[in-house]
Amino acid sequence: MALNAESVPMRWPAGPLDIACREKAKGFTAETADVLRKWLDPDSLAIVQSSPVNCLVVSWAAGLPADADQPAALKPLIEKGRQAGFGFVGVIEGQADRPAAVAAAKAAGLAAVAMDGDAPAGAAIPVIPWNKAAKLKPAANSPVLGISDGVWPGIPQPSGQGGGPTNLPWVDSNGAPLLIARVLAPDKAVWIGFDPPTPQTTPPPQQTPPRPPQQPGNSADAYVLAVADSASYGAKWVISLDDQLRADLIARKPAAMDTWKKVIHTMVFFDQRKQARTYRPDGPLAILSDFAGPNYDAGEEAINLFPRIRQPFRVIARPQAAGANFAGLLAIYYVDRDAPDAALRQKLIAFAQGGGTLFVPSNWSNPEGTPVPAEPYLLFKVRSLAKGRLAVCKEDQPDPYDVVADIQNIISHRNDVLRLYNAPSMNFLYETSAQGKQGVIHLLNYSRRPGSDGPLFYVKEPHKSARLVSPEIASPTDLAFAPQEAGGAELFLPKLTVYGAVELEK
Amino acid sequence: MKQHLTRRELLAGAGIGAGALLVGPARSLAASAPAGRVAVAKCKTYGPELVPAMEKMFDQIGGLGGLVKGKTVAMKINLIGVRWQRLGNAPMEETFWTHPRAIGAAVHLIGKAGAKKIRVVEGPWSTPETLEEVMLSMNWKPQDILSAAPNVEFENTNYLGRGKKYSRFMVPAGAMIYPGYDLNHSYEDCDVFVSFAKLKEHAATGITLSMKNVYGTTPITIYGEGAGKDEPSLRPHGGRGGVFHFASRLPSKSAPQQIDMSLPKEAGYRLPRIIAELNAARPVHLAIIDGVKAATGAETNYGSRPQAAVNPGVLIAGTNAVATDAVAMSVMGFNPMNDRGKPPFASSDNMLHLGEDLGVGLRDLSKNEIAGVPISEVVFDYTAVRNKILADRKKA
Repeated sequence: MALNAESVPMRWPAGPLDIACREKAKGFTAETADVLRKWLDPDSLAIVQSSPVNCLVVSWAAGLPADADQPAALKPLIEKGRQAGFGFVGVIEGQADRPAAVAAAKAAGLAAVAMDGDAPAGAAIPVIPWNKAAKLKPAANSPVLGISDGVWPGIPQPSGQGGGPTNLPWVDSNGAPLLIARVLAPDKAVWIGFDPPTPQTTPPPQQTPPRPPQQPGNSADAYVLAVADSASYGAKWVISLDDQLRADLIARKPAAMDTWKKVIHTMVFFDQRKQARTYRPDGPLAILSDFAGPNYDAGEEAINLFPRIRQPFRVIARPQAAGANFAGLLAIYYVDRDAPDAALRQKLIAFAQGGGTLFVPSNWSNPEGTPVPAEPYLLFKVRSLAKGRLAVCKEDQPDPYDVVADIQNIISHRNDVLRLYNAPSMNFLYETSAQGKQGVIHLLNYSRRPGSDGPLFYVKEPHKSARLVSPEIASPTDLAFAPQEAGGAELFLPKLTVYGAVELEK
Repeated sequence: MKQHLTRRELLAGAGIGAGALLVGPARSLAASAPAGRVAVAKCKTYGPELVPAMEKMFDQIGGLGGLVKGKTVAMKINLIGVRWQRLGNAPMEETFWTHPRAIGAAVHLIGKAGAKKIRVVEGPWSTPETLEEVMLSMNWKPQDILSAAPNVEFENTNYLGRGKKYSRFMVPAGAMIYPGYDLNHSYEDCDVFVSFAKLKEHAATGITLSMKNVYGTTPITIYGEGAGKDEPSLRPHGGRGGVFHFASRLPSKSAPQQIDMSLPKEAGYRLPRIIAELNAARPVHLAIIDGVKAATGAETNYGSRPQAAVNPGVLIAGTNAVATDAVAMSVMGFNPMNDRGKPPFASSDNMLHLGEDLGVGLRDLSKNEIAGVPISEVVFDYTAVRNKILADRKKA
């Protein structure tokens, strides 16, 4: 199968190269090596038959002596897999001879290879750029862009880490790099790679009340969250299973099969809602950056933090800003410390003059407008600019949390389009269709445990209907709007373990 | 084996175990504590009955005119905890927060009685946002409060706010933890200080009423987990737990420091004393308690505790915070004379007792003047609600 935007990838560690790459790592055992051999067996493909997975990502070359044996070892698997309709992507990494590895991949019938850095000149098969998020290659000649440094989503343990002074826990999510990738390369599919954590070998501290003993390995819900975190942000996780689960799936152990069925069910759920992938993040605020070089971190951190303070937003890539439509926006946060070109600056200032608020970094030269009084603690000096405002950051390296908090503060809760309650471990992503008639609120629970109360949304604008869809419920559930005295309405949701989405219709 | 405890050991012991000795100030000022006038009213809703009920109560405690006419009033409301975490679907104002209509009613009546200026104040959890913003985020209409009387304004007292410096309030006598506190200027600017609380229990201190509401006057730029080490921070960050509950860090050095660093680091010991001290240092002239709708079980949603949104249908107001809280405790089915080990003070000392020892007021109902609806007619048994929840959970 040729590589295309509909390819559904899964990491398929198998063969001598994977053994060579891992054998010096702590915790590598003879059993792990045995499983890596067993996954070479073409019969192992039965695990993914009848699943949405149609593309297997195998280790191809790493600059190790085992590189030489890997193609031959994989040959039966690749042949049978191709007959069954699977495509194969070979990962080339380390000090591998890249042109030779690409040529070998072509000869072996692989659909593509994936590697960091630049593709070798004249590569005869697609080369998926497989880079860290900050070094994404949106211009690469491939229908798929890869992000190699995804995080296993959840609430990091130990969870002493705070996500800001909000009493909301820190969450690990891939939402920010995926949104950035989507705006930088809107016509490409985005894959993200990350592996499950090695399950704890030591028992967790005594819990009160004690929790029932857990199965070894990562829970089914952890995998569901890994799928949902990527899918809700419009990307595909290159599914990667932990050693224990791989061993148990080969052995057809019922618990492992149940976990895998749950993963498949979640993938099918998102596959059935492809339409929503055409929706785009929406909100009264836009985050504008080139998300490149020194600007990447500030842009990514803003996109990480706004969901924690429940501020819906759009993302605009600076290279596309000249053609971007600012209609419906109340504020734009221009993140980058390098100045926009004259045309973009003019466009941004016109937005502010028309009634919007433009937030800019401290080195914004010759700020337009006249100063107005503002609360002294605010990180921004506010200037009046015709009907709108220019807010210039006071600090060169501000605390990113204070930045997003003050942006929300200056925009004012009066302009909230959505609010989320009873969901401290959740993030939401609000997206709308091109015409704005349909909307979806993706809701992800990073604790993977339902809260004591069901989540609750405040929705400012009137809608005709709202319904909850989730892999956790048998069929979509209509939600009733509870009108509020001060305007807007509330939607009460049932408890969610990992993921649900509210589909809105105006 | 040692036969006698040192005073330090005695103090430490007071922080542990049920029925331990209450260790208050070295010399009790209870004999000089003033009696209070307290009124109780039935009020089932925040509808049209609210203003008349409140007005009648204020008349029963001597009227507002003498207290507020021509004066600047600071009214500390209660907007505790993480505002995004409700108890079920009930909005915060129907469980943990002073209800906006009740705030509006009080503002209206205080204005009607001739107050020159009314500043509604609070230090909401870990934020520098204006109170108006906090209210908007809860879908309230702050304009309704601002327009309920002439010259009404809001101030977030988590930080310096509109002041040029913090105001120092010393505990007049008998300080146990801190000799004094540095607060936002609003608490000094006012001639009359009103504490407008909610009828609630508290996880650490048993109850949270008009006395405990004063705890929230402390600026988190000085007493928060993100406070400056030497000087107050510019922005408020974090809660007050580190400094006040557990003494895991000190307040900014610019503020009065803890008297004795060896004091127990236990919330049930520290908080009641700090609350009593704050009430002695910044006395409440008018205490109001919103028990129309409230929550049982704790001051905010803890998730696992047996908690419920309830409708006690009662308002309480008084001229003294200790006396008013004593009446409120009785309405909740508790005995204000109880000490540690007896409900609701399972693991804390009784802040009313400590307030009494600091001369703030008297908790013995018989020593105060109580008007309005007899307490027996409005008792809403918080313990019974908890027991029912626990029984229901057991059945489930």
